[in-house]
Amino acid sequence: MDEFTVIETRDLNLWYGKKHALIDISVKIPKNRVTALIGPSGCGKSTLLRCCNRMNDLIDSSRITGNVLFNGEDIYDGHADAYAVREKIGMVFQKPNPFPKNIYENVAYGPRIHGVGDKRKLDRIVEESLKGAALWDEVKDRLYEPALSLSGGQQQRLCIARTLAVGPEVILMDEPCSALDPIATAKIEDLIIRLARDYTVVIVTHNMQQAARASDYTGFMYLGRLVEFDKTTKIFEDPGEELTENYITGRFG
Amino acid sequence: MKKEQAAPVPFQGFGRPGVGTDPTSAGAKRQLVDRIVGKLLFFVALFAIVTVFFIIVFLIRDGYQIVLETGLWNFLAGQDWNPAGQNPAYGVLPLIVGTILVTALAMAIAIPLSIGSAVFIAEIAAARTKAAIKPAIELLAGIPSVVYGFFGLILLTDWIRIAFDQPSGSSWLAGSILLAVMAIPTITSVAEDAISSVPREFREGSLALGATRWQTVRNVVVPGALPGISAAIILGMGRAIGETMAVLMVTGNAAVIPDPITDVFSPVRTLTGTLGIEMGEVAFGSTHYHALFGVAVVLLFITLAINSASRIVISRIQGPQGTARPTAHRALVAAASRIAHAVSAPFGGVVSPRTSQRCAFFLISLSVVIVLAALGMILFGIVVNGAGAISWEFLTGSPRDLGRAGGIFPAIVGTFYLVGGGLAIALPLGIATAIYLIEYTAETPLTRSIRAAVDLLNGTPSIVFGLFGFAFLVIFLNFGISLIAGQITLGLMILPTIIRTTEESLRSIPGSLREGSYALGATKWQTISRVVLPPALPGILTGAILSIGRAAGETAPIMFTAAIFSSRYLPSSLSEPVMALPYHLFVLTTSVPGASVQSYGTALVLLLLVLVIYLAAILIRRRYNRAKVM
Repeated sequence: MDEFTVIETRDLNLWYGKKHALIDISVKIPKNRVTALIGPSGCGKSTLLRCCNRMNDLIDSSRITGNVLFNGEDIYDGHADAYAVREKIGMVFQKPNPFPKNIYENVAYGPRIHGVGDKRKLDRIVEESLKGAALWDEVKDRLYEPALSLSGGQQQRLCIARTLAVGPEVILMDEPCSALDPIATAKIEDLIIRLARDYTVVIVTHNMQQAARASDYTGFMYLGRLVEFDKTTKIFEDPGEELTENYITGRFG
Repeated sequence: MKKEQAAPVPFQGFGRPGVGTDPTSAGAKRQLVDRIVGKLLFFVALFAIVTVFFIIVFLIRDGYQIVLETGLWNFLAGQDWNPAGQNPAYGVLPLIVGTILVTALAMAIAIPLSIGSAVFIAEIAAARTKAAIKPAIELLAGIPSVVYGFFGLILLTDWIRIAFDQPSGSSWLAGSILLAVMAIPTITSVAEDAISSVPREFREGSLALGATRWQTVRNVVVPGALPGISAAIILGMGRAIGETMAVLMVTGNAAVIPDPITDVFSPVRTLTGTLGIEMGEVAFGSTHYHALFGVAVVLLFITLAINSASRIVISRIQGPQGTARPTAHRALVAAASRIAHAVSAPFGGVVSPRTSQRCAFFLISLSVVIVLAALGMILFGIVVNGAGAISWEFLTGSPRDLGRAGGIFPAIVGTFYLVGGGLAIALPLGIATAIYLIEYTAETPLTRSIRAAVDLLNGTPSIVFGLFGFAFLVIFLNFGISLIAGQITLGLMILPTIIRTTEESLRSIPGSLREGSYALGATKWQTISRVVLPPALPGILTGAILSIGRAAGETAPIMFTAAIFSSRYLPSSLSEPVMALPYHLFVLTTSVPGASVQSYGTALVLLLLVLVIYLAAILIRRRYNRAKVM
């Protein structure tokens, strides 16, 4: 792989209490590409994703060894600031989780907490972020309505807009379509492909067609290990490991 | 995660093109704020928690003295309570028996009527009837106990004396009837919530098999709502056991065990009543003083038993999802359905399901009519008789001639002072403590024991707080009977409620919202203050308002810490005593003959004050529920 690496893990191990959830993960996530993580439930793909912006910090029993580098700097280094890490590496969750505020305030929340107070500047960020998430046309006339009045797919795109508003380099998505219907899913997949022009996207998915359609690279995980990581075309057409082949051909999982 | 705490220096390696502010100073500042707020919350929570444990330890320490002086057995099983006699005796058995008898009979009256009413509201009433009855019953749960006591003393005891041809109406029966009327709104309201939350599909499943509505209610809905109904009964029982003023005013207060034990016309004396009667005249540090603390500790243990029982009942019945239900649950369900069958047997076996439904619905509707008639009679009596007393002078003047003339202005203002002060103490302490417990600590044995202590105080009878305030603030700290002592006592009384309701409210905010905020790089305090607190606010507010209502109507905690009967002036400093509406009503009713007009007027003013406060809470909750649907 000769792509420019934005996130790299080196011998990453993670325990939840006594459970060894990630085992010796070393992976390089290429910049401005969509990387998909696939594998059966409980294989550790969401855990790996949450390591990349230190969301696992919020789980008390978690313990970690190894390194996670972002642009060459260790985000678990004693001097690293978890809040600043999350500002640069945003996250979209499995179930849409808009705040119980109006649409505008949902998007403006991130810039505000990072110190943007100027109304005109906020307006601009909100508009650009909503456009970036392909939601602007649907909500521009109802920016002050509650975010919870949007449909599920719209809510998820709002959550993506909310992430864009902070100005991240990487967007982590944890099964972003699993709670959505097929049409809303297709819209999000289009969006993911478009986002990769400006951002690096890492997506965890259960849906192998989704990985095949939307991603450039795919990593297959099984029981806490990264079994194989390669170009998506390679993984789906000519997997190097038997385990990977068994999984994508539906023989287990 | 451990590594996060080891990151005191903000990492400055990441630029911020998207937002475009100066990364270093803003980042450092918000992290500093985050740390300061965290420390501040920790110290406030620590203070509140230490206070909670201090109260419990203080009561137990002084209560233990009586065990040293008389021996545990003599204290608990002694049949004679006579602290003022030639040979003082300190046996609490008659008081315990009195408490149990009054509570048991009250529950026997209240449970069928309450559950009948709850079933009626949830299952039978038309939507419009339900919309009218439900808030009305919730509102009635807020009527101050001294108002019930007043009513009981004036009408109920007379009625019992005449109707049953007894020398005196002040009796076990009077206490039980009054407590039942007081507990019914609480039980009905909570049980109705439980019945209404049984999923619709259960009902439809039963009706689709051709069952009648009554069969569905009896065999599907009520068993399904059993955990909630049990919780409602336990809650009502706790309220009945902890009640002081109403009981003290109508039970006759003779410390005897009824002979025969079923003699409902015998006077009795409860544990709480004893504290209410004797606390004011006890000498500091005497055996009698220690005996009263012993009584308080007995009440504390009863509260503990009730709390544990409710926790066990609820957790056993709900059980972990997907596992087999434990035997206790099966036994309860079996018992409930057996009772239901027994009740309906006279019409169940022989007559058609349709007829049995008609009979059952008739009985249920009858229970609603009884409840509404009893409560309506009390309200009607007070409003009609009290309206005549209300005048400009009554509301703005000072009392004259021991309250037989003049007004109650100092009492109205005094009540506001007491409640305002109590709230100013309890609200910041309680909210900060709840935030700390929910947002900053993980579930550990320590937080569990804190929660248990808070729960214990939450269920502790208000008179026990009165005893603590009197012994510690008034006597030990030498505050004297003063406004400040009353404010602190009321504050301590509502502190556990505010902690618990705030905790519940914070816990109802889904974790995914916090994650969403953290994922955008927000600090802990930014997340709490901007994402968690705003939607939790209506719940916190409702809890606070209900506490205000409770504090405004309470007599027991201020009786010996702050209140005086007749004062022409408002207190000019915190160290002076004040008048208060509930205490004024209590003294007018029990000690001043010929002031019945003023009593009715005071009762009406107090009633309106408290009902307005409760109405506000109900309206806020309703608005919040509607907002949530959107």
